[in-house]
Parts: sequence; C-alpha cells; structure tokens
Amino acid sequence: MRTKRHYGNIMYDRRVVRGNTYAKHIIPTTAQPDPAEIRRQQANRRRAIARKQAREQFRPNTPEALEGRKHTDVQTELYLEELSNIIATTDIECQTDPFLDRPATPLFIPAKSGKDVETQIEEGELFDFDVEVQPVLEVLVGKTIEQSLLEVMEEEELACLKAQQRAFEELRNNELAEVQRLQEMERRHNEEKERRIAQQREVLRKEKEIAEKIAARAYTQQYLAGLLPAVFTSLRSHGYFYNPVEKDIETNFFPWLMDEVNNRVERRCTAREILDSKRHCYFILFVDDNPFF
Amino acid sequence: MAGALTDPTRAPVAFGRRAVPQLFGELQRAGAAARLRALTSLCDLVHEPERLYQAVTGGFLKQLKVLFRDEDPSVRAKTCELLHLLTSHSIGRQAVLASSLLPPLCQLLDDSSFSCRRNVHRVLNRLALLPAGAEALLSLVPKLMLKLTKEEDEEVQLLLLSTLTHCSRLDALPGLASDGVSLLGRKLSHRSSNIRREAAAAMMALSVPMDGKRQVCEDAEVLPVLIGLLRDKDVEVQANAAGVIMSTVIITTGKQRCLDLDVLPVLLGLLSEKHGDDDKEEMKKRRKALIMYVLRALTSLAEAPNGRRLLLEQLPLVEKKAEAAEEDQDIRRATQTAIQVITWTP
Repeated sequence: MRTKRHYGNIMYDRRVVRGNTYAKHIIPTTAQPDPAEIRRQQANRRRAIARKQAREQFRPNTPEALEGRKHTDVQTELYLEELSNIIATTDIECQTDPFLDRPATPLFIPAKSGKDVETQIEEGELFDFDVEVQPVLEVLVGKTIEQSLLEVMEEEELACLKAQQRAFEELRNNELAEVQRLQEMERRHNEEKERRIAQQREVLRKEKEIAEKIAARAYTQQYLAGLLPAVFTSLRSHGYFYNPVEKDIETNFFPWLMDEVNNRVERRCTAREILDSKRHCYFILFVDDNPFF
Repeated sequence: MAGALTDPTRAPVAFGRRAVPQLFGELQRAGAAARLRALTSLCDLVHEPERLYQAVTGGFLKQLKVLFRDEDPSVRAKTCELLHLLTSHSIGRQAVLASSLLPPLCQLLDDSSFSCRRNVHRVLNRLALLPAGAEALLSLVPKLMLKLTKEEDEEVQLLLLSTLTHCSRLDALPGLASDGVSLLGRKLSHRSSNIRREAAAAMMALSVPMDGKRQVCEDAEVLPVLIGLLRDKDVEVQANAAGVIMSTVIITTGKQRCLDLDVLPVLLGLLSEKHGDDDKEEMKKRRKALIMYVLRALTSLAEAPNGRRLLLEQLPLVEKKAEAAEEDQDIRRATQTAIQVITWTP
C-alpha cells in the first residue's frame, strides 16, 4: 500500500525542529496517538465550533420588519430580470442523415458584366523555336569558340615560343661553332708560334754550339801548332833526348873525372897545407907529373 | 556533369575545388576499373592550368608512385599520360623533379606494355626541355642509348632521340661514353626523315666537345653518310647535317677528312641554291639555319691550306652572297667572316 505523499512547505513542517532547543517539542515515537490525545483533540474541535457559533450570534443582522410590513427583495435595475435558481434550458438535438451525400456546391456564375472578347492563338506564336533557341545557341557556340580560340592562341604561342627557341638554338650553335673555331685557330696559332719559337731557339742554340766548336777548334789548332816544338823543347830541356855517348860520358866519366880531380886537388891542397905548415917549399913530384898544373 | 555519368570510361567529377582531391581520393580507395576511370577524368581535368596547379600542390604525386606498380598495364599507361600532361607546365615539371618520381618512372622504361613505354618516353622528353630536368636525366643517358638500339617504333625513337639531344646539349660526355656516335651514325640512314633529322641533331649536340669531334672523325662511316645527308630533300635534315660538319671541321683531322671526302662543292652548292618559294617566311627561317651552318663550315675549312686554295677560286660566289640585300644580319656577318678567313695570308 502506497502512502500518500503530502507535499507541504518545509518551513511549516512539524517534523522540522525550529526554535530554541531547551524547550523542544518532542514528537512521540509511536505513530498511534494516545486515547487521551484523541479526546483532547475532539474537545478542541467542539470548543472551536462553539466559539464560531458564538461569534455568529454577535454578528449584526438586519432588524426584523415592522408590523404590517414584510421584507422583500426587489430589483432596482433598469431592466427587470427574472431571478430563479433554475436556469431555463432547452435541449436541442441535431443529426445528419447518414446516407445522404453533401450535394455539390452550385457553380457561382456571377452576372455577366463587360464586353465579350475573343482571341485565337495561332501555331508558332506562343513558342518559336528559332527565336528561343538563339540565346542558348549563342552561349553554346560562343563558349565553344572562345575555348577553341584560347586553345588555338595557346598553341600559336607555344609554336612561337618553339620557333624562337629554335632560332636561339641555331644562333647558339652557330656562335658555339664560331667560338670553337676561333678557339681552335688560337690554339693552332699558339702552337705554331710555340713551335716556331722552339725552332728558332733550337737554331740559335745550334749556331752557338757551332760557333763554340769553331772557336774551340781554332784555339786548339793554335795551341797544338805550338805544341809540338814546345813539347820537344820541354823534353829536350828536361833532358829526355840525350846523346847516349854524351850521356854516358856525363854519367860515368865525368863523376869519375871529377872525383879524381877532387882527389887530386885535395891531395894538392893537403900537400899545400903541409907545405905551408912546414914552411918548406918542396916541390911535389906530383905537380910535375900532373899535366893539369 | 551528366556527361560524366553517361560516359562509362570516366569517373564523375565533383564541382569546383573538390574535383581534383576527390578524384585522387577515389584513386586510393577504388578497384582497378574505377581507378582507370578516375585517371581518365583526371587526364581531362589537368588540361586546365588551375586544376593542374591544384593537383601539383596538393601533394598527390606520391599516390602516383603506388600506381606505377599496378598490375593493370592500362592503369600504368594512363598514369604516365597524366604525368605527361602535368609536365606540360613548368610547375608540373619542377614538382615531378622534386618529388623523386624519376627512379620508379625509369623502371617503367622496361615495361611490357608498349603504350606505357611510349608515355614514359613522352614524359622524359618533356622533362628534358627543362635544364634541371636534363641534368637529372643525364644519369639515364646510357640506358636510353641502349633503348635506342632495341626499340623499333618510330615515334618512340623520335622521342628518345630528342631527349638525348637535349641531354647532350647540356653535357655530351655520358652520351659519348656510351658509344653514341656509332649508334647515331646508324640511325642517320633511316628511311624516315624525322628520325634522320633528330639523329643529326643529336649528333650535332654530341660533337660539341673535343672528344665528340674526334670520335666523329674516327668513325669511318659517319662522315660520308653526313655528306650524303647534305643532299637530302628535307631542309632540317640538311641543316642538322651541316651543323655536325660545322663542328667537326673545327679540328684539323676533321678538316683533312672532309676535304678528302670532297665536301666543298656540296657546301657551295647548298649556299647558292635557290628555292622556288623562297619568299615564304618559314622556308626562309629554316634555310637561314642551313646557310649559317654552311658558312661556318666553309670558314673553318678555309683555314686549311688546300681548303683555302679551293675557296679562293670560289670567292666571287661567296661575295655575291654577302651583297645580297635580302639576307639577314647574321648571314651577312657570317659571310664577311668567311671572306676574311679565306683571304687571310700568314
């Protein structure tokens, strides 16, 4: 069984404790109220009713009517109105016929006003293909031609560029050939020059060599011309050419002779000295013998 | 828009700014057939510069790398075609170079599908027009030379030759190192005049450094073929052949060989040739190149003693050319230089 939830203002919920805590209102733990509690609540209720009745008694009412008069209610408005608690009502029912279709609304044909005019559309007046197609065609053809013109111009430009490139290439080749030819020419001329210079140098060198050779030859000849007598003279002066007899006499005879002479002279000297020392003049026999003195 | 739905080979295109990102997103998500459709639509859109800019700056190029390895050859071919359209603009070219798409692209050179290879060659050709692109492609030159020997289709050969020409103009050494001279010499006698023209142009680019000139002289067949090409019907072929000869006769060996092969009468003949429709601007321009190259070749030949002797006899002809009032400033200058060299005495 579900308990009914009471949604109340939490500010006025009796379970929320408010106020001072030293005089708490303690809710009894048991849910059942005591019989004493019930009696007290009933008494309270009776007392509240009694009080309300008493209050009503003291409310002032209209005084009672006088004699011969009666109080009645009267309407004082302009238009009298029947007052009653029962409202006059009527019940009206309506029911459509179940099988009856709604009839068609009649055509509203307004009354004729104005003039009657006719017109007839001939063939080809609403839509003329040739006229209509013109703008479309123009666009189509125009775009196609524009595109093709662009392409043709591009091709022409490319062809021009190519032609220019080709002309440039040819010029370049030409100039390249010319440059190379001139280079070759330079090279050949240089080589030729080098060769000629080398040749000249060679010639000069040879000439110099020949001159030197000639000079050397002349000098040698001159030298050699005086060489032979000089050689002989020098040899002769060195004593390489000798008369053998003379040589023999010189080598053998003369030393002996000289020795002999020396001896003799020595002897003579000694003799002379002896003589001198003795102071005697003695004729030396040798002196007479010797043919030299 | 309705056209996109009705055309079964193309994916529907979103409006305005969303078109390109949405298609790229679809590329990532979709299956093989849908990818092809999205690629076709993209190819159509990218013709317009705005869309191209959007495609390039939106960072979508990385997705293309994945598509290169797709199994379906038509998808690969379409991807290459898309790249080809992207490289028609300078920003596209720069973006392709910057985004390291080149190595996987080069792997596709050996692809089995012909249209894929052709589109790759188209892309490389466009890239080579830019100097930075030519630099990047220099490392590919040996491989391209190899391809030249193997491929038979004319268009692919043309593309290869023009790519090689542009790369060699920047730096001819890789081309020379991979034996370019003899390869191109063989191509010079091809039946198609386009191929002859391109081969001669490539040869001209290769003969700019000294090494190239020497190789052209050493190769016994090249010079006679070139002199034969001087009598070709197509003016451009003649012009390019004259250009090669012009570079070759700069070195002494070249002079000797050309004089031995009796090239002077041919050159002088070219100089005094008069076409019936000489008044047309275009013809004049083309002939101008030819005449200038011929004049330079004559100038170089005149430095050799026997060449000078022969040319002194022909001096009146050259002088007449100089006095012709209708000629260009450059031609007149070139003629005067030629006359100076011819009449120079040591």
